[in-house]
Amino acid sequence: MERVDHILIVDDDIEIRGLLTEYLEKNGFKATAAADGRQMRVALAAGSVDLIVLDLMLPGEDGLALCRHLRAGGPESVPVLILTARNEETDRIVGLEMGADDYLTKPFAARELLARIAAVLRRTRMLPPNLRGAAEPARMLAFGAWSLDTTERHLIDAAGTMVSLSGAEYRLLRVFLSHPQRVLNRDQLLTLTQGRGADAFDRSIDLLVSRLRQRLRDEAREPRYIKTIRNEGYVFAAAVMPRKDAP
Amino acid sequence: MSRIGRRVLLRWWPRSLFGRVALILFLGLAAAHALTFWLVLQERGQASLRMMISYLAKDIATSVAILDRVPAGERALWLARIERPNYRYVLGTPAAGAPTDSALAQQVTAALANALGRGYEVRATLPRDAGDRALLQVNLRLADGTPLAIDMSPPSLAISPWVAAVLSAQLSLLAVATWLAVRLATRPLAQLAKAADELGLELNGKTLPEDGPIEVSRAAVAFNLMQRRIAEHVAERLRMLAAISHDLQTPITRMRLRADLLESAALRDKLQADLDAMQMLVQEGIAFARSAQGITEPACRVDLNALLDSLVCDYVDGGERLSLTGRIEHSIVTRPHALRRIITNLVDNALKFGKDVEIRLDAEARDRVLVAVCDRGPGIPPAELSAVLQPFYRLESSRNRDTGGAGLGLAIAHQLARALGGSLILANRASGGLEARLLLALAEAVGSGDGVAPSGVHR
Repeated sequence: MERVDHILIVDDDIEIRGLLTEYLEKNGFKATAAADGRQMRVALAAGSVDLIVLDLMLPGEDGLALCRHLRAGGPESVPVLILTARNEETDRIVGLEMGADDYLTKPFAARELLARIAAVLRRTRMLPPNLRGAAEPARMLAFGAWSLDTTERHLIDAAGTMVSLSGAEYRLLRVFLSHPQRVLNRDQLLTLTQGRGADAFDRSIDLLVSRLRQRLRDEAREPRYIKTIRNEGYVFAAAVMPRKDAP
Repeated sequence: MSRIGRRVLLRWWPRSLFGRVALILFLGLAAAHALTFWLVLQERGQASLRMMISYLAKDIATSVAILDRVPAGERALWLARIERPNYRYVLGTPAAGAPTDSALAQQVTAALANALGRGYEVRATLPRDAGDRALLQVNLRLADGTPLAIDMSPPSLAISPWVAAVLSAQLSLLAVATWLAVRLATRPLAQLAKAADELGLELNGKTLPEDGPIEVSRAAVAFNLMQRRIAEHVAERLRMLAAISHDLQTPITRMRLRADLLESAALRDKLQADLDAMQMLVQEGIAFARSAQGITEPACRVDLNALLDSLVCDYVDGGERLSLTGRIEHSIVTRPHALRRIITNLVDNALKFGKDVEIRLDAEARDRVLVAVCDRGPGIPPAELSAVLQPFYRLESSRNRDTGGAGLGLAIAHQLARALGGSLILANRASGGLEARLLLALAEAVGSGDGVAPSGVHR
């Protein structure tokens, strides 16, 4: 039988801890609960935790501080999924900058939490071990005349103008940026793009690529960024340079 | 007062306080002046009459003494010489008029009797032929028994021509003073009204200057205090809404998890649907409280075409029917999260009520852009078009089907549009359905400064 993923739940609400533990166990995970930072460290020391579900609002040391602490621990640290009751953009951004792998706002549907946990686990495992943990150190990914802001999920052109992306476009671009100069066929693109599973898009990859080219102001006949390889798929032709800072 | 009279009065009665106070003041002052003028005239007339009567009595006594001493044959010759502009002498008994004992007649006869001394019987009559402007006729007999009549006419007290000029100058002075005083009194009222008007739109409206006359400054202080109290009250209400909404999130999270653990799928789905509705209310509450507190997000240069197109793509990928028409040439300077929220709220609202939702982007003027979100739904009764932008306002009509939410979506959009320096107007389309028109400046008045590259502004 395959190994069961171990999820550590850190939440100060005893009811939510109990319910989450029960729900995750019912769905094939091993779950441990901790009420605060101290209990979290005890649980981490005790055994192999695959992912931490961390509430931001905690008594004593709050979630953001804990997250930063975890990330300072080194490249092998455990992926973190943040839960926040505050539905504020800044919280989300700060959370992701502190090194969280994903976030979910309370109240959430339990199924959504399952999907996010699965996605984070899959994503972490796809990365080579030396990059794991330091999952997304660079907020900005620069290529050609563009930079992609991975927290705000939009493009910035050479003149500093913000160019928005739809969810599907962003996911496709992320796939291209993490596999530059590699030919990706349509099936690969589809699998990699639908990481979240929940909101699959019904448009073909070709349509999505042409939309993304439009956003990048790329000529369809002679594209600079996303080139078509006949009968094979697409290749992202530009070099990608991670940058830590926001513009 | 008759009904017609009242109607006439109402027609001439000014509608403005300025007009009314000015009219009352001016008419009152003018009437007082007229009365004074009349009194002075009366007084002057009476004083000169008294003087004239005593002079007249002495003069007549002298004339009678002359006539007494002149031989009867020569008397007629003397008559012309002793005549005065105001009275003349007639020998004999002219057709005697009715006897009179008016105040004037009594004064005159008493003065005459006094001046003539004993032996003369003086009678005053009204002249029969009023043809000549005689006022009074005095009849007496000379010492030898010859009857003598004296015809008197009233003295003419001419008014000097410059009096009229001075009088009209006085009246104009009155008019000017009235106007100044009334304006002084009513202008603060107009300012107060204007400030109160603005208070309705902007909670952090301008405070009134607390100087000026005591009454005005007291009103201004009271108004400013009231404005602060209202602002505090609204802030308090928002804090309460935010706190309640926020605290509800934990119990809703628990209930969601409990529902997910239920065995019965039917019950689970029903509970989840209820929880969805609750969660929507809570999120709207939080979003509204936050939008009312203004935007903290910094402004940046944004490609509006891409923003709208990506938003439409997200909706379309989610299975909604939505389209975008129009492009603009320039990028704009704005706060993208707030703008996205406005348009999402408008689109959500449009999708709730109408099919075929369309976003139209257009350059409205040199410095403004229009984002119109149109639907083909039932629209909104014209009387309620602006009311639905108010928080918690719900339509009674068909548009209020069981759609969930607290009805805050449009209110949030409205607040944020104002915070962005733009405006949001709802209108029914001639061809049916609702059109939400969001007008934005190409560059916000604030925040268009440093670090924003001027890309694409002049192409």
